Amino acid sequence: MSILNYHHFPIYSIMILFLGAFLTVVFGHKKALRNIFALLAVSVSLACMIALVKPVMLDGEIISYWMGGRGIAGGYAIGISLEVDALSLFFGLLISTAVFVSCVYSIQYMSHDDNPGQYYTLFLMLSGGVMGLVLTGDIFNMFIMVEILTFAAVALTAFRNKAFGALEAAFKYLVVGCIGSTCILTGVIMLYAQVHTLNFAQLSALIPGNLTPATKVAFALLFVGFSTKAFIVPFHPLAADAHGAAPASISVLISGVLTKSGIYGIIRLCYFLFQSMQLGAIQFMLVFIGSVSMFVCVTMALAQHDFKRLLAFHSISQIGYVLTAVGLCTAFGISAGLYHAMNHTLFKGLLFLAAGAVLHQTGTTDLGKLGGLSRRMPHTTVLFLIGAFSISGLPPFNGFASKWMVYQAVYQKAVESGNIGFLLVLIIALVTSVLTLASFVKVSQSVFFGQLPEEYSDVKEVGFGMRFAMGIFAVLCVITGLFPNLVTTYLTEPAARAVFSVGKYISAMGFDSTVADQAVSFAHAGVWAPVNWLLLLAVMLLAVTIVAVASRYDKVSRRTSETVDTKYQLFYGGEKNVYSQVGGGDLFWGFKHNWRHYFSFMHDLHSGVVNDYALWAVVALALAIVFLQIVL
Amino acid sequence: MTILMTALYDLGYILIFPGFLFCFLVGMLLCGIDRKLVARMQKRVGPPILQPMYDFFKLCGKETIVPAAASKTTFMAAPLIGLAALVVIQLFIPVFGFTAFSGVADIIVILYLLLIPAMSSMLGGAASGSPYAGVGLSREMVTVISCELPLVLVLLAVARTVGNAMGTGLCFSLSTIADFQAANGSLILKGSMIPAAIAMLMVIPGETGNHPFDAAEAETEICEGMLAEYSGAPLGVYKLNHAVKMLTLTSLFVALFLGGLGTGILPLDIIIMFLLCVALTAVSISFVHAVTARLKIEQIFKYYWTVVSGLALISLVLAWYGM
Repeated sequence: MSILNYHHFPIYSIMILFLGAFLTVVFGHKKALRNIFALLAVSVSLACMIALVKPVMLDGEIISYWMGGRGIAGGYAIGISLEVDALSLFFGLLISTAVFVSCVYSIQYMSHDDNPGQYYTLFLMLSGGVMGLVLTGDIFNMFIMVEILTFAAVALTAFRNKAFGALEAAFKYLVVGCIGSTCILTGVIMLYAQVHTLNFAQLSALIPGNLTPATKVAFALLFVGFSTKAFIVPFHPLAADAHGAAPASISVLISGVLTKSGIYGIIRLCYFLFQSMQLGAIQFMLVFIGSVSMFVCVTMALAQHDFKRLLAFHSISQIGYVLTAVGLCTAFGISAGLYHAMNHTLFKGLLFLAAGAVLHQTGTTDLGKLGGLSRRMPHTTVLFLIGAFSISGLPPFNGFASKWMVYQAVYQKAVESGNIGFLLVLIIALVTSVLTLASFVKVSQSVFFGQLPEEYSDVKEVGFGMRFAMGIFAVLCVITGLFPNLVTTYLTEPAARAVFSVGKYISAMGFDSTVADQAVSFAHAGVWAPVNWLLLLAVMLLAVTIVAVASRYDKVSRRTSETVDTKYQLFYGGEKNVYSQVGGGDLFWGFKHNWRHYFSFMHDLHSGVVNDYALWAVVALALAIVFLQIVL
Repeated sequence: MTILMTALYDLGYILIFPGFLFCFLVGMLLCGIDRKLVARMQKRVGPPILQPMYDFFKLCGKETIVPAAASKTTFMAAPLIGLAALVVIQLFIPVFGFTAFSGVADIIVILYLLLIPAMSSMLGGAASGSPYAGVGLSREMVTVISCELPLVLVLLAVARTVGNAMGTGLCFSLSTIADFQAANGSLILKGSMIPAAIAMLMVIPGETGNHPFDAAEAETEICEGMLAEYSGAPLGVYKLNHAVKMLTLTSLFVALFLGGLGTGILPLDIIIMFLLCVALTAVSISFVHAVTARLKIEQIFKYYWTVVSGLALISLVLAWYGM
């Protein structure tokens, strides 16, 4: 095999990141060289993933790769393998895109920090870890990758360790992250003890026939372990702390990449290893956790007054949509969920980068202190608004396209199963969406619009490199929103088909499979043609604008602040400027007042003490073990 | 030639009927009728029916002042974007058998398209930099949240009822809903849909921001909130937006619940549609306006999430079990 054969590309895309990490250590003190190595590593990794789209997504090939040529001996897998099907590749593409954009952004963003050399090393370790996690075909190898990425992420969370709360956040993440990793390790050991193999494909072939109490416990352990990586409820408080403290480019990775690895793990676990998604109880488990994450985190976000913490909670809330859609166990649902996962990476990445830009220029992310930045940072404002519209699901941006698919999938499932519970899930999803909008209206008002405080009156726009990185995400947000059919045909539907072809996954590695592939259907009842809508809006807007300009709409009187004429100042009721600012944290008290008991309950619950969160993890594990023993 | 003709027809739909011109005229008329009705109910003479139109043109001739603290582009563009987005929604709402553009958006999409005008007015208000606008937009957002839940429930109930009857399980397409009603009679005649129709009637004034749900604009208290800094033509466009929104929501009600009243002859249908919109405006906006005082924002929220949502939920549950 030539070294440019595409079968080697998965291992290249992992290796190059670790190699880059090594090189940035060696050349850490030379700025230009270090940046070039980092960029080169992430670009090659992205290119490898893109090159695989044709064989894996379009031709439906599953790439199996035994490292060192050691494969199967005596019917058991003894070598370490990579196995890349459409599902792995889908996540691989997401990850390499997010890593690439984040790296471009970092070059300018991190240039003023101490030790950027170490930053790139950890950054590439984290990226390589996640990449390995989604491409591997070996569960122990997966655990190794989980360890690498967790520790790199913890170190990066505390990277700005002089900032308030950074070490505390990293410590919390470390404690709960370790509980998660330990769960995964224990689960792996128990599975190995039961069926004597670590290969995903072989495990998938053997486990469904060997459902002993021990394998059920292993299921619970692995599920909780991956949940901690995805930060779904009850592990959401960690995400808020970690995002708040980490540099913005790392928040992009934590929310866009790390949480995806957790979702990936859960899909592999439920659909492949245990093939138990046909059970109503497992569907219930995923949909329930998804809906709770959706709702709890969006309400938590409404109560935040820090830009990045707010984004962190929204991140988990959107992951709730993904988990809910994945838990429906319909091909259309999985397609919708993966679509939303992709969009989540794009718009959340964009929003975190915008928050990073604000932090970079003003030195704070406190919503109560900021305001009026749109006049100083117009490009960042536009980019932020694209992200905000996307996450709030305003048409025609990508968040709407995928949320709309999620709604269709949930309603379809409700009709098919006749279960009125799914209707409740749908209502929660729709309400969550409007609460998300509320939250981003709050951010727009308190960061980019509203009054500009004196101290930020000389803030400048961020540099081109950072705007370029945000621009990539913004363009992708618009494209994936306008052409949902392309996304579903080339990316999410092949991945959803892969989820329902477990037999093919098993036999691709050379094991005997008795699992028949299921027929899948992506039919749905709704109608949404974004391009047509946009054309209509464009024509309408053009007409309205022509009429407006013709009637001299844009002829305005404006006085600059030099000419002090109170007639053109803001209209106040007589009180001084400083007393009339509407606080960022408490903008929606009309809503919060009615929910005050709920909010005070949530406030008491989220104590911020790591012992509590560790306890939640243990309780979640216990519940999962009991639940799965009963239902499996 | 046929492509050119189609394009011309489409342009006609967009600009004349049911697009821009139709929305402008009918919206303004509805607004004028509403003002007249309220005045008569309060034993005043009231303005002429065409007063909103006079107001609009007068405002367009006035000086536009942009505050020094405002972000000018957003401030000026927001009303226009809101207007365009609103008129586009009107293109998807069937006039009985006639839909200008079917196959573009279903009812879930329309639910979200309705957020765009609200969002643009909020961003416009935010861009003015005024603290009154800050308070106004926070209340507007809470009002939107309040109306969203009952509206979702109503739309789902309709989708389920029609879907059940058609044997497809669910139906999101507005033109299919219109066809179904043309064949089987209006949905409001079904007992299970009556609570949803009442809920929808209550949602209309909330969505348009009319009394008593106009805490977001509360002139006497926060100087019209988001509009506090607006003057001249942009203010006129906002007044127009409000008028068009009345048309959009009342015609949405007609499309959802009264679709069986069409005759199949388009000019006659338009007149019936207009009369129904006037009647709905009178019932849901004017009568309520005349007899109530403004509610506080937390009362609005509570009212919508308990009483109105409760009604809509009854319909949804009944529809779910095929009644």
